[in-house]
Amino acid sequence: MGWAWLILLLATYPWLLGADLASDALASSSLVVFVSGACLIAPARRLKRWQCVLFAAGLGFLFEARRPIPDGALALTLVAVAIFLSSNRALLRSTPRMLQGAAVVNVGACLTWFVAAAIAADAPADGAFGHLFGQLLLAGVVGALGLVPVALTQNAAMDRLGVPPAPDTP
Amino acid sequence: MDQNRQGARASYVALAVFVAAWILLPSAVRRFNREAFVEFQAPALHLAGKSRDLATFWEKKSRSTEELVAAGRDLARINAALELKLKGLEDIRRENQRLREVTRYNVPAEYLSVVARVATRDSSSWWQRIVIRKGRNDGIRPGAPVVFGDTVVGRVTAVHLTTSEVDLVTSPGFRCTAYLEGDDQSRIVLVNGVAAHSLGTAKARVSVIPYDYLLPAGTPARVTTTGMGGVFPSGLTLGYLDGGAYATQVGNFKESLLVPSRDLYNLQEVSVLVPLIQTPGEALMQGEQFQ
Repeated sequence: MGWAWLILLLATYPWLLGADLASDALASSSLVVFVSGACLIAPARRLKRWQCVLFAAGLGFLFEARRPIPDGALALTLVAVAIFLSSNRALLRSTPRMLQGAAVVNVGACLTWFVAAAIAADAPADGAFGHLFGQLLLAGVVGALGLVPVALTQNAAMDRLGVPPAPDTP
Repeated sequence: MDQNRQGARASYVALAVFVAAWILLPSAVRRFNREAFVEFQAPALHLAGKSRDLATFWEKKSRSTEELVAAGRDLARINAALELKLKGLEDIRRENQRLREVTRYNVPAEYLSVVARVATRDSSSWWQRIVIRKGRNDGIRPGAPVVFGDTVVGRVTAVHLTTSEVDLVTSPGFRCTAYLEGDDQSRIVLVNGVAAHSLGTAKARVSVIPYDYLLPAGTPARVTTTGMGGVFPSGLTLGYLDGGAYATQVGNFKESLLVPSRDLYNLQEVSVLVPLIQTPGEALMQGEQFQ
C-alpha cells in the first residue's frame, strides 16, 4: 500500500505529541523528551525503503517545525538512517537488537539536532557538554524504554494496512 | 543481496542529490515546508491546551456550592475543616491573583493587548520557548513583546495561523536594553538570555554594567526595559539582579545574572502587546521570521 508510510506517520503522531507534552512537563529542566529516532525502528523492518525514507523525513520535519533547528538537519539525518536500516534489516532481527538500535538511533539523532541547534544559536553556551550529556542520556533511556509501546502501535497499524511482516532471516 | 546493495547505493546517491538541492532551494520553499508541518501540529497543540483547561475547569466545577457552604459552617467549629477550606480556596485565590496581575498593567496606547493561553512549553540548551494559542488570525505579528502584568515574558519569534512561538527572556536568542534600579544616571545595560544548565533555573545575563554601579543595599536590584529599540515599552520589569555583579575579563564593565521575576514555565496566560503601527525592527523581522 503506497500510503502506508503516511498512515503510519499519523498513527505514530500521538507518541510524538506525548513526547512534546512530556517535554512541556520537563521544561524547567531544559530537557527535551526526544523519541523520533526510536519511532523509526519498527517501520524500518517492514516498510519498503522509499516508504521508510518518506516516513523518516516526516518524523524529522515534525520535530524541527517548532524548534530553531536548521531546516532539514534532523529530517535528512533520519532519512540517511532509514536508508541504512532498511538496507541492513538483519541488524534489527531480534527484540534486543531493536532495543539497542532504538537507543543508538535516538541518541545519534538527538546529537544531530543538538549540534545543528548549537551551530544556529546566536549565543555561546556555558557548559554545553554537560547539557549535551544529559540530553543524550535522556534520549538513550527514552529511546530504549519507548520503543516497545511505539513499536506495538506501529506494528498493529502496519498489520491493518497489510504491510508484510518482517522476515525472520532478512 | 547485490540488488539490495545497489538499491541502497542508489538511495544514498539520491539523498546526496536531494541534500544539495535542499541547500540550493530558495528559503521560501523551506519556510513553506516548515509552516506546513507547524500547521499540521497546531490542532493537536490546541487540543492539548484546551484539554488542560477543561480538566482545570471540571476540577473546580466539581466543588459544589453545598460543599463550600458546608465547609464554611464547619469552619466556625472545627479547625481541621478550616484548614481544608483554606486548601480548597488556595487554587481560586491564585487564579484571582493571576487575573488581577494580568489586568494591572496599563497597556500603552500604541499597543493592542491580546491575551493568549499557553499551549506548551519547550526548553533546551539552545532555546526556551512557549507556544501560545493565538496567531496570525488574531493579529499577532513577529517581534511583538509578550508580558504578564508589568513583567516581560519574552518576544514573539514566529507566528503561525493559530499559534505563535515566544522566545522567553532566558532564551539565548533574546536581547534587550535595560536600566538598573539604583543607577541615578540611568545608564543602559544589555540583557541577553543564557543557555540553560540542565536541571537548573534558567537565567539571563546582564552585561555592560558600569564599573561604578553599586547594588542597592537590602533588596535585589530591579531591571527594567528602556523603551529604546521600539520593541518593548519602557518601564517593564525584566527581572532582578542575582546577587552581586562581577567584573568582566576586560575590566571596564561588570556583569551579573538576571533572575526573571516570575517562574516563566508556570505561566498559563500571557498578554501580547501588538504595536498598532509597525515598527522598523518588526519590518526587518518579518523579512526572515527569525528563529
